[in-house]
Amino acid sequence: MTLHAWLSAILVQALVSATPLTLAGLGELTAERGGVINVGIEGMMLLGAITAFAVGMTGNPYLALAAAPLAGMALGLVFALATVVGRVDQIVCGMAINLLAVGISGTAWVALQNHDLTALPDAAAFHRLWGQQYGLTYVVAGLCVAWWWALHRSRAGIIVRALGESAEACAANGIAVRRWRVSLVLLGGACAGTAGAFLSIMDIQGFEPGMTGGRGFLVLALVIFGRWRVEGLVAGSLFFGALDSLQVHFQGLGFDRYLPYQAFQMLPYVAALCALAVLSRSAPGPGQLGRPYPARH
Amino acid sequence: MSARALRSIAVTLGAALLGIIGVLAGLWCAGYPPATVVPTWLAAAAGNELHLAGSLQQAGPLLCAGLATAVAFRANALNIGVEGQYLLGAITYVGIGVHVGHAPGVVMIPLLLLLAMASGAGWALIAFVLERTRSVPIVLSTILLNFIAVALVSYLIEGPLHDPVTSAPQTEQLAPGLRLPVLIAGTTLHVGVLVIAALAVVLWVAQSRTVFGYELAVVGANERVARLTGIRVERVRGLAMAISGALAGLGGALQQAGVTHYMSDGSVSYGYAGIAVALLGQLHPLGVAAAALYFGMLDSGSAGLERHLDIPHDVGDILKGVVTLVVLIAAVVQWRRRPWSGP
Repeated sequence: MTLHAWLSAILVQALVSATPLTLAGLGELTAERGGVINVGIEGMMLLGAITAFAVGMTGNPYLALAAAPLAGMALGLVFALATVVGRVDQIVCGMAINLLAVGISGTAWVALQNHDLTALPDAAAFHRLWGQQYGLTYVVAGLCVAWWWALHRSRAGIIVRALGESAEACAANGIAVRRWRVSLVLLGGACAGTAGAFLSIMDIQGFEPGMTGGRGFLVLALVIFGRWRVEGLVAGSLFFGALDSLQVHFQGLGFDRYLPYQAFQMLPYVAALCALAVLSRSAPGPGQLGRPYPARH
Repeated sequence: MSARALRSIAVTLGAALLGIIGVLAGLWCAGYPPATVVPTWLAAAAGNELHLAGSLQQAGPLLCAGLATAVAFRANALNIGVEGQYLLGAITYVGIGVHVGHAPGVVMIPLLLLLAMASGAGWALIAFVLERTRSVPIVLSTILLNFIAVALVSYLIEGPLHDPVTSAPQTEQLAPGLRLPVLIAGTTLHVGVLVIAALAVVLWVAQSRTVFGYELAVVGANERVARLTGIRVERVRGLAMAISGALAGLGGALQQAGVTHYMSDGSVSYGYAGIAVALLGQLHPLGVAAAALYFGMLDSGSAGLERHLDIPHDVGDILKGVVTLVVLIAAVVQWRRRPWSGP
């Protein structure tokens, strides 16, 4: 293969890898701008992945794609009821959601195997379109523009941003704080669930337990990395997509003669850790991130 | 025992029972009546000396990971990194162990265990230092460090520590002198499990009877109050993280020294299970011990179902998934009362 062919293969894979990160990131970013930090998106992605895979057994890819956000929203509802309504600590509850999703998806996976349903039927897999990308990648690109506009130019965007800075001020202006926050968490769950479906019925076209492999946690780092802005998130996702793509393609480039493949495997996580170390302090984030409302009963 | 403690125990036991009933109902629907499932399960989990030993051995690493999680959570340092710290402890013991096989075990075993604890603690302290100096949330950094640890251990197993006589990704076997003696012949129940059980008691005493235990409780309950009372909050949190990482590393090392005797790419780590064990045990050392024993019995019991009733071997995993699920729902109910907000 020529250098040109390798470069284009890496670029294609970078966009594929960046798509679920961006999609889940949009949802997480919005929830965090509204004051709710959802550490459970890894679990919501995982549940979206197994749901899309299981529904894909029917042979209808669009049904599978539609079911995944519902699965993410179901977990989002549990999270929202516990944290926004029940005022449970958001981070601990998010970790519980992750464990919950591992349990559910693992159990479902075992049950599917008992019925010999282990490979996605060809009809249920999406195919690559123009530029070797899945259609969802273009949808996500469009969503980024719409999201930026909604967050900065619409009334709903103003409310979301205000919610994260002062829920009390919003309440004084007649905004139903908890109803808004529950909706934002559900939106985040839908995004994460769809991102999981992208992995199972498009990118990888299969399922294995724990297949999200920490992408949900990378997304959390990306939101900080992008300083809670859509354009920052997109830039970060593309960067991590490129890192991931290098990991996929490094063997073809002959890098494995110099470095073990595990070095590339850990690269995105080391980069995320470094990015957090550099940026966490200078980017404080929404003022009331993670704080329940009302502050006291 | 206070009414609150009793109520919290009752709620947790009820949740665990509910999980068992749910699984039994599912198995009944699949054609396995409880009248045959329950006795088989109990027999395999604790029917005789050998089976009980199996359950206890399985509970050992779960207890160690659970204690590690609990002590950090108590200080409000959400250490999700027990998985990575456990793996580092394990690879430290095996990695150095295979090179010093001829040294006397009496000297080497304690030394290697200490090194394993140090490596686990060091890995945990990276997260603490990043939080202290760079404001990186511990919950995020420890998770990222888990993935880095997995890749690092995989590299070591396939690279420098690879056993040259096989192509399988695994290390050499530990010399007999570096393995822990078993307590009951014919089982894998080893001395290390006793060490872990003793540690649970030590932690219980430390948490309820020492100044450090008091400071830990205050920091976990309210950092501002802790600071105003003159407690050096960062020191307490750092110490809690170090203890947590050391326990995790010890758990990994003891499992290698007592049970597996080598490491492979598919080595089972108990780090994530430890979170569920810690939460089920209400972050109380003795509660964590009970939870670990319950999980251990669940493991060996479901293995028995597979052997005797010809229930597909995957059912053990379903059982685990469902119980974890119920444990978590119970934990969410409990969190409203913040069970670790003080003695």
